[in-house]
Amino acid sequence: MPNTEKRPSDPAVYNAESISVLEGLEAVRKRPGMYIGDTSDGSGLHKMVFEVIDNSIDESLAGHCDQIDVIIHNDGSVSVEDNGRGIPVGPMEHAGKSVDAAIVILTVLHAGGKFDNSSYKVSGGLHGVGVSVVNALSDWLFLEIWRDGKAYSARFERGAVVKEIELLGPSDRRGTRITFHPDPLVFAITEMDFEILAQRFRELSYLNAGVKITLRDLRTGRDRAFDGEGGVTSFVKLLAQNKASIGELIHISRDIEFDFEGERHVLGVQVALQWTDAYSENILCFTNNISNRDGGTHLTGLRTALTKVVNAYAAEGNFLKGHKGTLTGEDIREGLVGIISIKHPDPKFSSQIKDKLVSGEVTVLVSTVVSEELGRFFEENPKSGRLMVEKALLSARARAAARKARETITRKGILDGLSLPGKLADCQERNPEFAELFLVEGDSAGGSAKQGRDRRTQAILPLRGKILNVEKARLDKMLSSQEIITLITALGTGVGEDNYEIAKLRYHTIVIMTDADVDGSHIRTLLLTFFYRHFPEIIERGHLYIAQPPLYKVKAGKKEVYLKNEAALDAYVIDNAIDDVTLEIGDHGVSREVLAELARRGLRYRAILSNIARNHRPAVIEAIADDLVREGLAPLLARLDNAESARTYGEDFARRVEAAMDRARVTASIIEDAADPKRRAIRLQILADGVTQTELVDAELVTAPEITELVRVREYIASLGGSNSTFTLRKGDQVLQPPRLVDLVEHIGEIGRAGLQIQRYKGLGEMNPEQLWETTMDPARRALLKVRVGDHVEADNVFSVLMGDNVEPRREFITQNALNARNLDV
Amino acid sequence: MFIRCPICRKEIPDAPDDFAERPFCSRRCKTIDLGNWLSESYRISRLLGPEDEFEVESGQN
Repeated sequence: MPNTEKRPSDPAVYNAESISVLEGLEAVRKRPGMYIGDTSDGSGLHKMVFEVIDNSIDESLAGHCDQIDVIIHNDGSVSVEDNGRGIPVGPMEHAGKSVDAAIVILTVLHAGGKFDNSSYKVSGGLHGVGVSVVNALSDWLFLEIWRDGKAYSARFERGAVVKEIELLGPSDRRGTRITFHPDPLVFAITEMDFEILAQRFRELSYLNAGVKITLRDLRTGRDRAFDGEGGVTSFVKLLAQNKASIGELIHISRDIEFDFEGERHVLGVQVALQWTDAYSENILCFTNNISNRDGGTHLTGLRTALTKVVNAYAAEGNFLKGHKGTLTGEDIREGLVGIISIKHPDPKFSSQIKDKLVSGEVTVLVSTVVSEELGRFFEENPKSGRLMVEKALLSARARAAARKARETITRKGILDGLSLPGKLADCQERNPEFAELFLVEGDSAGGSAKQGRDRRTQAILPLRGKILNVEKARLDKMLSSQEIITLITALGTGVGEDNYEIAKLRYHTIVIMTDADVDGSHIRTLLLTFFYRHFPEIIERGHLYIAQPPLYKVKAGKKEVYLKNEAALDAYVIDNAIDDVTLEIGDHGVSREVLAELARRGLRYRAILSNIARNHRPAVIEAIADDLVREGLAPLLARLDNAESARTYGEDFARRVEAAMDRARVTASIIEDAADPKRRAIRLQILADGVTQTELVDAELVTAPEITELVRVREYIASLGGSNSTFTLRKGDQVLQPPRLVDLVEHIGEIGRAGLQIQRYKGLGEMNPEQLWETTMDPARRALLKVRVGDHVEADNVFSVLMGDNVEPRREFITQNALNARNLDV
Repeated sequence: MFIRCPICRKEIPDAPDDFAERPFCSRRCKTIDLGNWLSESYRISRLLGPEDEFEVESGQN
């Protein structure tokens, strides 16, 4: 009785009569790659399992199966069992003979219920070749069927029947189990990878709500269950994890009817969408559970709807003010993570591997469904809608900025493989480990550096920061685009998207050499920031340094000395004085060594005091130090603990400050801390020169590290048997009695300066080539500061303050000239 | 490594230390920044002082 030509009378009945036979199985073993994919890299191997489980999924799509169990056995075979209706058994006609239907399904290529749409509404199958291919490529396959109250089995080897379908007896089980062993003659690798299977099963369970899949690996004891709870929405949440969500997750699930080739069909549309703060778009597309890597008509429909609906929503809510034109699809989809899964009774693909859906009718159907559902979502979730549009606007702006930047980069020709710049005086050394590059501010200093350098290992690149006089009120300093290009070319690494290669760096010692003034520090800041942002490895690997040219040249007779900063100068001056003076503390003379030590500490004392003077009156600080030296920290803090003793102490303190200052009036009052009764402060009102100032003396100030250091110096003096007003300084006939340590240091300094010629360098250009070499460039004598990035964020903050739109902090920075290399974590 | 993108201020609290676009959040922001350098948008300014009178050529903003 031939059944292949006529349709089964009852479409819901799946039996031997509904199987249509298309062609034979011969070619599969000859050319397995055509049917199952690569047999050498493991991808074909796992598709064997996917082919088999797809049959079970088909059963679940038809509503007959809700449980699938997959087991990897110890011998490397895999079994897939479902609780569906069971593969049909019973005789059917095939190639003129009567053959059992199950045997046809297992041995004939393209046989199977899926070619008869009335039986399964939709069906997947990775290659559409069915389980017969799996059978052909297994050295053995065991088939078990439980159907209509009976149990059957059959066995195959390399596609051939070795044991025909056999009725085993009655059974109340239902379903199919296929156990197969991949043929080692076909597959180079026969080891199944648990994770590859698990990933696909997770996908399948999400895409097919209502089916539970378990996976057990008897080789290792691992197992996992996928119940697909939440369906595509859970799938999207999984994809969007580790990214910050923007707005609510959108879920669309709808069946839509359509007419196709004269018949009524149903298209199932499942969409889940979540916007995130990522930059890329990640939408996975599936047709009947098959992943379509290249998208296709369903994706087109989704994108069309998104662009249309979001733009309509944005226009309606008046969100596009200040934005030219509409939002593009790209802007809207930036950061979008999504799934579109459709179930189609007869999908068409561009190729065997189904990477792209080409069924034309799908575009409009999906677009219709998504437009309606998304429109409703926005109405019901205005906040999510607004967030999304804002995100799209940001994307549009960033995209435009990046496009403009790319144009600039192209126009400047920075990627064109430039030859070394003419301004660069290169060194002879070609091994980067031994080659040094000096980035020298200014042409004249660059000239001196070129003459003074060791040309074997030292290269010089003069950089001239570009200066603009803005409205005759402000100086703007920048690196010109030409300087930037020159610098990048000299470094040799290239820059930017695809041209950057740190291994090509031509120098492993790069020295920034700028003047010790504000403009110099600004150029240095610009360079450091540029390196930090575009060559972070150069800093991380410790290749970047800052030169320390001297600030002073001191001449005594014929002797010349270079000194790098104020502190070094002070120390030198004191040293110079010591030979000419003697000091008595009380009635005792001190040795030259003690005098040197005392002067050194005195310098430190003065430096701390002048530092602290930014916020406090020195008289107040010294009064605190007096008390600390006299009675120690604990008793002093104890005074503050008690309101009455604090008042007494405060009044006494005020009198002493008044006495130490010239023509000042000082009054004290007590401030209680409402939150903490143990905390109180003495408030001093100091009226001097017609101005009233307020100072707070509290536990915090008393324990400040600066004061602690002052006290240590004072204790040192006390240990020498001295205190204030007991110094006697003699130089020849001259006798001085400085009242305080700072005055003593001042006098010694004056004596030391006499006869010295002190020259302060305003810039590198004031040094001749030899001087530059001796003081700053000679590897044997120079001191370099290595640039390190301790805190990346902090480093950039300094620059942001200098550059930023926030005018106030910037003005403060500028007027204080507060920037130095240390702020950038040097 | 904590990253706060200099361009868009987006924060990535625990980026890997060898994150390719550091200290930026993305290649796009890095490109925008390079474009800013090449179009001379990054300037540090200070107020003019009396000592600047003869040092500076005038320019336009």
